[in-house]
Amino acid sequence: MESWPRARPAVRKKIALFILLGWVLLIIGDRVDELRVYQGAQMAMYTIALASIVLLTGYSGQVSLGNGAMMAVGGYGAALTLNNLGSPIWFAFLMAVVCAALFGALLGTAAARLSGPYLAGTTLALAVGLPAIANQFKFLGGEPGLLFDVGFPPERFGEEFTQYKWFFWISTFIALIALFMTSNILSSRFGRTWRGIRGHSLAAELCGVHSSRMKILAFTVSSALAGLAGAVLAMNISLVAPGAYALSLSFALVTGAVLAGISSLPGVVFGAFILVAIPEIADALAGRLGDADKLNHYLPGLIVSILLILSVIYAPNGPGENLRKHLRKKPAR
Amino acid sequence: MIRKTRRKRTWFAAAVIASGSLFATALPANAETGVSATQIKLGITLPLTGAASPGYNKIGNAMNAYFKYVNDNGGVYGRKVTLIQKDDMYTPQLAIAKTNELILKDKVFALVGPLGTANFTATHKSVNLAKRGVPSLFLNTGFSGFANKKNYPTSFMILPSYAMEAKVVAQFLKESHAGKKLGLVYQNDEFGIDALGAFTAAGVKFDVSVPYTSGSQSAATAQTWVSQLAAGGAQVVVFFGVTSATAPLLAVAAGAKYAPQWILGSVGADPLTLQALGVPVAVLNGAQTPAGNPSPNDTSDEYVKQFQEINTKYNTGVAFDDYVLQGMNLGLMTVQALRAAGQNLTRRGLIRAMETKGSTFASVAYSPLGYSKTSNVGHTGYFMAVMGPTGDRKPLGGSVTLYTTDSGSGPVVKSTFKRPAMPAKGLPTNS
Repeated sequence: MESWPRARPAVRKKIALFILLGWVLLIIGDRVDELRVYQGAQMAMYTIALASIVLLTGYSGQVSLGNGAMMAVGGYGAALTLNNLGSPIWFAFLMAVVCAALFGALLGTAAARLSGPYLAGTTLALAVGLPAIANQFKFLGGEPGLLFDVGFPPERFGEEFTQYKWFFWISTFIALIALFMTSNILSSRFGRTWRGIRGHSLAAELCGVHSSRMKILAFTVSSALAGLAGAVLAMNISLVAPGAYALSLSFALVTGAVLAGISSLPGVVFGAFILVAIPEIADALAGRLGDADKLNHYLPGLIVSILLILSVIYAPNGPGENLRKHLRKKPAR
Repeated sequence: MIRKTRRKRTWFAAAVIASGSLFATALPANAETGVSATQIKLGITLPLTGAASPGYNKIGNAMNAYFKYVNDNGGVYGRKVTLIQKDDMYTPQLAIAKTNELILKDKVFALVGPLGTANFTATHKSVNLAKRGVPSLFLNTGFSGFANKKNYPTSFMILPSYAMEAKVVAQFLKESHAGKKLGLVYQNDEFGIDALGAFTAAGVKFDVSVPYTSGSQSAATAQTWVSQLAAGGAQVVVFFGVTSATAPLLAVAAGAKYAPQWILGSVGADPLTLQALGVPVAVLNGAQTPAGNPSPNDTSDEYVKQFQEINTKYNTGVAFDDYVLQGMNLGLMTVQALRAAGQNLTRRGLIRAMETKGSTFASVAYSPLGYSKTSNVGHTGYFMAVMGPTGDRKPLGGSVTLYTTDSGSGPVVKSTFKRPAMPAKGLPTNS
């Protein structure tokens, strides 16, 4: 409690920074065409999803390949809430967080006993299996999935205000809140404890940290974030379907997190940018090289793989880390 | 303090990156999206790869071949027609993403022939096609739900609905297979359920019914379908699914020496696709099928003959099958619609043209077209055909007996409708 008054100015500054960032994004959202607005909404979604990986893997040191599955839990939770209860949008998003957190807590209980490749394997199995469950139950809509309709933007925004801009606003707003909360959690005692566990779990335990309990907590918070991202994804495509949370999504997220620098929260914005930009770059490249149809199919995967390899060799902590080191050196000169 | 500045700096960098990513150039003001003095840009999403792609992956190229033929002969009022194909792998979420690209990035004038019921339902909702006023012509799906003009004001169907198909088959079952044990295998989504509803409404009760999930079709799953059908003693089996599901079904049944009278829905009975999937075409021998088009190897048909010629020249090396025929016909219909909309091409104009002139368009299918101010229904009927050992279709009883109906409770009636003639050289001047 003692530290609260002292921490306050920093938090206040952070709030101001986030509001400024939100304001800048709002203005940008007004100036660019609809495709960019849509991509902006996607970026916001990836930002939240990557934050969940950074929290789990970068901070608490648990490797998960199953974030896509957590997103599916959130997405379906939100869709079922919205469709069956006719609830307001915010409640659907809240339920996405609650469902995913509960699921994450359950899974975390098992995961706390596993580590390294075993944990990665378990979560991978989840990423493969969980979305497919929707195929087996009618109320989950099967393969075509369930519609997730948050409705048209409020009329007072005018005729020119498109659906995608509405998605962009909601996604960005949620992403900013999620990032703000995550950054606070990571700089709190929980964040420090998680880093302690990641560094040396035995040493952390000797300091009185209940390591498995903290790991479960990390899993829960991370799942809640992933669930939120899943609901935002569902909103952006107006749909929840097993295919929307495919294994490839989980892999894309891990790639994005590695490129972002796995333990850097601001890096997630960069990671999200890369994930949205890769198909664009591939498309442009394929168009230039000719035979766009065929190339387009393989290029994104190729680019991701090359980036991943380069990143592991030259910037294992993400390009953000290298940039920071570079900036730190400069004033010394 | 150092920490704080560093953090500030990273946040600033993040903000810069975020804003940079959203940068884009402003749009030049255009008369109509996707239309220039020299070009009309159209788009389609369809499975080019993946489990459901065999057959369907030919449709886009066939359309393009027909457009190239038209372009070489002067285009549509001097404008060249181009079609951008995007692979959706038959999944709704990819269909949404790709349609977004078509409309926001490639800025196409209209969608033509988008494929798949679940895909178009999701796309229409997500991309907001109606509100954007994007014409979606000739949906490659027979889901009767799309016939709701209020919900789909800018969309037009082409295939008779699955409900119509099921009603025609139901009539046929009552007339020709009365008293036999009936089985049904259907794709468990709007596609199959649409048909199931119509069968139930027509009073046809199946002794065995086997739903399957789209994408789950394989030899292993077909094993379970066949054992259920055989255990139930089904003598006549109706199939409502795609050809990539017909293939394992017929192959496994042949292997198990289970030989009921097959009645294959029009969607899933393409012989060349079966062959491409490694199933001998001979399994089709004797199968009955509701058909809308003439057989693709019936060169006595003026449409087939003309399309085959175009295929040889503009789609070189591609075998002419039902999908190619369908693709060419989509091209023919599209060009008629574009012409009907006039020289001053707009999206609204195109929709109006479809409503006022669409029902007079020339099309390879035998049944009348139902377009009007109040209806976006395409073809409205079927005839029953029987397949030979090479997979060719012959009208059951020697000549085409056309039945027309609607997707609702209307009766199934024998029709005397005469199909409009193929425009000379396959180049429309009629609209």
